[in-house]
Amino acid sequence: MKTKLAALFAAALTVAGCHTTTVNSVENAQKSGQRYMIPDQRVVTDLSLNRKVSVVGVNTAMTPGNVLKVQVELLNEGSKLQRFVYTFEWFDANGMQINNVTSATIADQIEGRESKFISAVAPTPACTDFRLKLIKAN
Amino acid sequence: MKNQILSPLVAVGVLLIAGCGTNAHYVQSGGRESVVSVDQINIQDFIAAANAATTDLLASGALDRVSKPPAVLAMSRIVNNTSQQIDTDLLTKKIRVALLQSGKAVTTTTFGLGGPEDPLAQNIQQQEAKPTRLPDFTLSGKIIETFAKAGNTKQSTYSFQLSLTDNRGLAVWEGDKDITKQGTRSGVGF
Repeated sequence: MKTKLAALFAAALTVAGCHTTTVNSVENAQKSGQRYMIPDQRVVTDLSLNRKVSVVGVNTAMTPGNVLKVQVELLNEGSKLQRFVYTFEWFDANGMQINNVTSATIADQIEGRESKFISAVAPTPACTDFRLKLIKAN
Repeated sequence: MKNQILSPLVAVGVLLIAGCGTNAHYVQSGGRESVVSVDQINIQDFIAAANAATTDLLASGALDRVSKPPAVLAMSRIVNNTSQQIDTDLLTKKIRVALLQSGKAVTTTTFGLGGPEDPLAQNIQQQEAKPTRLPDFTLSGKIIETFAKAGNTKQSTYSFQLSLTDNRGLAVWEGDKDITKQGTRSGVGF
């Protein structure tokens, strides 16, 4: 009897721990907007995070004030919510990093199988390059 | 016999307690090792709110619509509608610094609500009889808190609302950033 109860308790805990929520979505099939996708260069050191917060693509645009705007599409290939933090770093034409509040560490989360966008605007019109860092949150 | 059993247990307990503490060390301001409190605004919240406002403001192009760039910005009232005593410069200064670095706006320190921020600069300006350029925009806003509780779980939302008003009295840009935190107690890390 005791063994059965313990097994039932363990099963309940397992089910609770593995609770998943995934995302269904719908969008217009014929897009009127055109994303300007750019080639990117990736360095992956956390394979687990790379699956849960996977970079699908990067597109850029210029704002009305001639400042670079970057948008990154992320996809959670797993089925559980994943918390993460990200930071955009910005560099001028000489490759020098420009640091201010636009390079803040931002907390975010992505649901299972969800695709979402994160974006940022360069701190100055002189910024031509960027780097996005993604880190698993605690 | 009793001592033989107790002594190792006490030793393990002491080791566990010692292992749980951390010596004082530096962490990156607003970084992922920051302390997160449910019932108060942390530095990373001000940084995230300033980041959102600056990004949105630069993207909007509102500051570019002035006859003589860069735009001149004056700081108006930022209402603290939270239960905490906070210095709103923790929010506004970060935005001012970023806007100055962007080259899109400069902030006047001789013209402001409740008197100049820098009285000495205003005196010099008056002595030299230099014409005062009136601000193109004023920045005002409000910080609001909302609490909710379910059992032991507490949730707080801090809303950072900002308005950029031009010299016609029209809000040409508005930002609203909500930051919500949930937990039973404060923790370290995002």
